[in-house]
Amino acid sequence: MALPFRDQIKDPTPAELELIARYAMLPEDPRRERAFAAFAESGLPHRRMEAWRWTDFRAALPDLKSPSQTAITDPFEPVKACRILFENGAMTLPKKWPKGVRGFEKMDAQALGDAERMPLGALSAALSAQKGGPSSIMLEITEPVKTPLHFVFASTQAEASFSRVTILVRPGASVDILESHLGGAGFSSHLLDLAVQEGGEASRTLFQSGRSDEAQAITADVHLGAGAALTQTVLSLGAKVSRIEMRVAHEGQGARAEMNGAYLAGDGYHVDLTSHVHHGAQACITQQTTKGAVLDGGRAIFQGKFHVPRTVGQRTEAEMGHHALLLEDGAEVFAKPELEIYADDVECAHGNTCGALDADQIFYMRQRGIPDAQAKALLTEAFIADALETAHEATGDILRTLASDWLKAAV
Amino acid sequence: MLILDNLAATVGEGEDAKQILKGLSLEVPAGEVHAIMGPNGAGKSTLSYVLTGRDGYEVTGGSADLEGEDLLDMDPEERAAKGLFLSFQYPVEIPGVPVMIFIRTAMNAQRKARGEPEISAPDFIKKCRKLGAALNLSQEMLKRPLNVGFSGGEKKRLEIFQMMMMEPRFVILDETDSGLDIDALKTVADGVNALRSPERGMLVITHYQRLLDHIKPDKVHVLADGRIVTSGGPDLALRLEKEGYDGVLSEAA
Repeated sequence: MALPFRDQIKDPTPAELELIARYAMLPEDPRRERAFAAFAESGLPHRRMEAWRWTDFRAALPDLKSPSQTAITDPFEPVKACRILFENGAMTLPKKWPKGVRGFEKMDAQALGDAERMPLGALSAALSAQKGGPSSIMLEITEPVKTPLHFVFASTQAEASFSRVTILVRPGASVDILESHLGGAGFSSHLLDLAVQEGGEASRTLFQSGRSDEAQAITADVHLGAGAALTQTVLSLGAKVSRIEMRVAHEGQGARAEMNGAYLAGDGYHVDLTSHVHHGAQACITQQTTKGAVLDGGRAIFQGKFHVPRTVGQRTEAEMGHHALLLEDGAEVFAKPELEIYADDVECAHGNTCGALDADQIFYMRQRGIPDAQAKALLTEAFIADALETAHEATGDILRTLASDWLKAAV
Repeated sequence: MLILDNLAATVGEGEDAKQILKGLSLEVPAGEVHAIMGPNGAGKSTLSYVLTGRDGYEVTGGSADLEGEDLLDMDPEERAAKGLFLSFQYPVEIPGVPVMIFIRTAMNAQRKARGEPEISAPDFIKKCRKLGAALNLSQEMLKRPLNVGFSGGEKKRLEIFQMMMMEPRFVILDETDSGLDIDALKTVADGVNALRSPERGMLVITHYQRLLDHIKPDKVHVLADGRIVTSGGPDLALRLEKEGYDGVLSEAA
């Protein structure tokens, strides 16, 4: 089955050939095949694809190579949580799940709807597998779960690491998801399938940090039932190339999604936060605040789309804000906010700004004795802070400290 | 204490650079409060920015020494650590940074630059409470982001609060009276007077004589067209009020 894919991807790069070879090593499985076929339609996403014009994985990842360093230390380590570890594509599950969580190890690949729209999500669906072990883990949340579920992605100089987690939140149940994406692999790609059923709630707090010789893709496919709620908070420090992408479908009346994110991109780092929200039911709410800061040689991409169809999307409330600070000459930010609204009874708004720090503020702070670099770091930290306010309570201070330390070291 | 000798400075860059200070000389000894008065466009605010080292103000001649040290050679934060404090005519809003955190960060940065230990949290809070009460600033206000949503009078009181917290060696008050009602003016003046001491010098820049009723200067200087044209005792301010700048200036010329 691998051979046709070799023909399907035009002029495959060494990295793509290696991915095809990895696929060929896995046991035959029709759903795995469909997922890989979806990936193979484009191969590694590249700049000639509209949704990837600023984030070119094919160019950034010519071959699969182990990175020069291991993963960074997990900043969420002090948080009391139930931990699920992913290292070099292998999963380590806790001995016991917290009350309200049922874990199912899936030996076969699971289907992925809409895979064509998420080429790297499809790749994770196709290649998440381990010898003699499960391909992915499915967690069913049956009641409000107190202990956060913490997924740690930290490899040890692996060429690549693929993983997939499915979480199903049953009606009225709730769960706190923490994710640490710490690198350690030349290419890591993770897929989260999250379905929150009627009246259920999920919070997701995600920290991503890769090195300048790593590629990271984190894809989420989210479905929200009537009255369900998702709160998501991201801090992304990027990698050679990184993308945190999510597709959210409001499928039941009154579903709510609050999705906030902050990014910091230094020299040689690429950050991408991309989201697509479909208002497929009435009176659903989406609140999205993204804030970031970029240094000379850094590059950040924000792509956000709200899609509100004509009849089902009535009484939608949706607000999108993206605000970026260009801290130095040579910093790059590309933003594409899109509201596609066909319904007429809606409240939708978006704002998008890019600018520099205010010289008056910096001088005022320096006049009070705060050194230039510290003033800039403090102002930037304050600027991005509100995008981190929704983080899980045990991680808020950790994320703010991470951002503050990053800024102190960088500015 | 502060000695300005023939200070000249331009504002703006390249061909747009404009000569504002044209040989300004002035000496404020420790323990004295001097007032600088002058018409619009005389260079009053430029003087305060040149002394504190703001970008865009270029010194083209002369010198400015504080206690024998060349101020003009230092970054703004170094000047602050040496004890130079400017109460801004238009205090700046700093969103996201609460007043107390801002002041503590600034005090500790100054102390670090001077090789002193940080102020302890209890000492800091005690001082905040005491001075906040004196200046009519509620503790709730001190937790809000610096100057964000504050009225003009609150901002000015907060400048004086910062000054009293930091106990600088030399203070420049740039039009601190503008935007203040009578009560606020009195509160601000009380704060300034409380800081008067034999070790500290002050330069009060103002348009009007009104502030000088409350902060009695030892000397008054008239700044016009970039230099000090005449100096005198407190009565000079009264004469200015009566005769206007034109009257006094024509006499000086």
